[in-house]
Amino acid sequence: MTAESVLKEKISLGDRINPIVVKELRQAVQSRFVIAALLTLLSIQLVAIGIYILASGPSLFGFDAGRQSFLMLFGILQVVAVLFVPLYTGARLAAERSDINVDLLFITTIKPRSVIAGKMFAAVTLTALIYSACMPFMAFTYFLRGIDLPSIFMSLGIGFVVVVACAQGAVFVALIPVNRAFKIIFGLITLAVFGMIYIWTMIGVSSVVTRGVIGRAFWDPMIAICGVICFLVGLFFVMSVALIMPVASNRALPVRLFITAAWLLTGVAAVTYCSIVHEYWPVIVWLLMFEIVFALAIFAAVSERDQPGRRVLRSIPRSLLGRARAFFFFSGAASGLAWASVMVVLTLGAAVAWVKLFQTRASGSDLTDVAKWMGGMCLYFFCYAMTGALLRRHLLSRIGTELTWLIGAVLLLVGSVAPFLIGYIVFFNDQWWEQDFSAWWVGNPFAWSNKAHRVLYASVGGVWAVLVSAMSLSWFIERVRSFRPASLVAACDAIESAPRAVASGSPSATD
Amino acid sequence: MKVQIVNLKKNFGATRAVDDVSFTFSSGQVVGFVGPNGAGKTTTMRILATLDEPTAGDALIDGVSVVEEPERARHLVGYVPDSLPTHRDMSVHEYLDFFARAYGLKGLHRAKVIDEVEEFTGLAGLRDKMLVALSKGMKQRVSLARALLHDPAVLVMDEPAAGLDPRARIELRELLRVLSSQGKAILISSHILTELAEICHAAVIIERGCVLMAGAIDDLLENGASRRTVLIRVRGGQEKLHRELLETPRIEKVNFVGEEIAAEINGDEEACCDLLVALVGSGYRIVEFKLQRANLEEIFMNVTKGAVQ
Repeated sequence: MTAESVLKEKISLGDRINPIVVKELRQAVQSRFVIAALLTLLSIQLVAIGIYILASGPSLFGFDAGRQSFLMLFGILQVVAVLFVPLYTGARLAAERSDINVDLLFITTIKPRSVIAGKMFAAVTLTALIYSACMPFMAFTYFLRGIDLPSIFMSLGIGFVVVVACAQGAVFVALIPVNRAFKIIFGLITLAVFGMIYIWTMIGVSSVVTRGVIGRAFWDPMIAICGVICFLVGLFFVMSVALIMPVASNRALPVRLFITAAWLLTGVAAVTYCSIVHEYWPVIVWLLMFEIVFALAIFAAVSERDQPGRRVLRSIPRSLLGRARAFFFFSGAASGLAWASVMVVLTLGAAVAWVKLFQTRASGSDLTDVAKWMGGMCLYFFCYAMTGALLRRHLLSRIGTELTWLIGAVLLLVGSVAPFLIGYIVFFNDQWWEQDFSAWWVGNPFAWSNKAHRVLYASVGGVWAVLVSAMSLSWFIERVRSFRPASLVAACDAIESAPRAVASGSPSATD
Repeated sequence: MKVQIVNLKKNFGATRAVDDVSFTFSSGQVVGFVGPNGAGKTTTMRILATLDEPTAGDALIDGVSVVEEPERARHLVGYVPDSLPTHRDMSVHEYLDFFARAYGLKGLHRAKVIDEVEEFTGLAGLRDKMLVALSKGMKQRVSLARALLHDPAVLVMDEPAAGLDPRARIELRELLRVLSSQGKAILISSHILTELAEICHAAVIIERGCVLMAGAIDDLLENGASRRTVLIRVRGGQEKLHRELLETPRIEKVNFVGEEIAAEINGDEEACCDLLVALVGSGYRIVEFKLQRANLEEIFMNVTKGAVQ
């Protein structure tokens, strides 16, 4: 092999690496912050295990010394990794995409998918660096008693996947196009969520190292959790890509395609697993996960552009069938609303059909109950989102379409507690707490677990949904009608006629 | 290659930063974008560079819309912002290498392009220096080098000469001349109007988001000023001429400038001719009657009111 061919091979390998990865890792290894964090973590681990050994005395040779020391080290590692990696990745990205200063990277010709993939790959590498640096300390606990190697590596694997998922979540939050105040609020909420994830991870890992990794008691929840994590990582990835795609592009298409494909695949997997284990929990998990996603999708849909841009219109198929299919998946508020509503109904329908058609040995009442609960929640989400959209269109038209979700969220917040507060203020007496007052939670989408008043909740929600749908019908029909391929020539002609040449010798002021 | 800014509008809340701005320019032209602070220059340039979305209107680069197809437009535009690269942990070469990769340059071609751009912008000796250690002028060069990596047909430069010392400014001017001779269309904003007049073929004057005046520099200088200054040298009778000029209705200001008298006339070239005829008719022995051309600064002061939004 000649020197030239070696050089060529090296260059070609270098070209295949995502430029964002090259930059991020270059900066990470040169960053004092990263080096300081890693050294601090290692020092803490060293000191912690040292103190543990010295303080344990004879109990060091007890049955669970290895397990205890592992959990201690894992707790330290995980708290640093869950906070540091997502914060480092998210904060850098948020700074690059701030409303004041967008990094020039985003006006290069690099694809949005490559940007997010690069950021994530760098985050994964950083996580791997941290985990591999801590691995010797973790493996050392095997030489104490009470823990086996599969449990150690499985726990580390779980921790690693959780950190990567958190990093992907942080990337998404960093890209949400809101001002600094909202970014701080979202950041704090995300931190709180990470805190909960940390606690759940510790509980899970504690269970793993106690019970081991063999048997259905471990693998059943593990499969479900892995499925949910994979879906969430994928979802946050496509949504992050969509957020940095040009506004004029068909941003909703990849997100809706991904969710629909995941819905179908996981649905089939859940049903298959259901018939193998003769239990309904896989379908319940599937139903819960997707109904929550579609409920949030309704809020996202009303915040989309009212009218798709010329670029989206140009890509609409000419055939009637193609156009009808495209309507559900293309960007646009009406399209998003139609897609999310249809998916809510299909998910509920699939769950109910599964109970009715394929009765297994287990009782289907749990699934039916969850279906009712989720159906009610989605109904109220629909009502709040549509009311928010109506308010924005008719009364608050100065507020941008992209903030419709906020109006809906405020309504949801008010509607969730206002009836209860009114009931409390107006009808309060000594027997108030002894009576069944849960009817006053009527506006709360999350109160459907209360079975006694479901008819009331459903009636109010149903009437409300019919009303807002009727009031939005003309708007919706207009959007369906205007969803047709645009005449490119006419659009271009309109804008070509206006400009005047500055150097043509004919000075002109526009105004 | 033509750049068309078409009825561009941009609102920030209730404030309209850019209000129906339209103009065009083509390959090989250097166009000065002039206006007071807060006039909407940077916003217009950021839209052209696909960093911001307009509220209405569009900008077309060789027919490619920056609103509808920013991905394609980005191949055609190089943007030099008014802020300079601030990455603490990157050297000049690493910075340029990253952007070259981001623009899709590969292998030996990438290495060659970076070398050429570093050579062109005078950064060859500084490639291993960290960005934070560079002077403002050098950072400006790095910014220009980054914008040139993908050989764009259009360069958008926001205040590239701000804060540069005279030598750096002259060097920048030379670079722009070379780039213009290479056929690049350049839109440049600056507050140093005398310099703009020297390097620009055309200028657009903007205030409160509206284009006040646009055209070739010669045309602007010719037609832009509402007042004309003429320098008059006569043999004898200077004091008398000074007095008479002060009493002439359309003359607003009269000064002695050495042996000459400078008279500011409120009117066009026709008014200057009338004055000359009147002076000759009055029997003055005129040695020199010279129309002093307005400069871009005067035109700018004439057409703008210094209003901000």
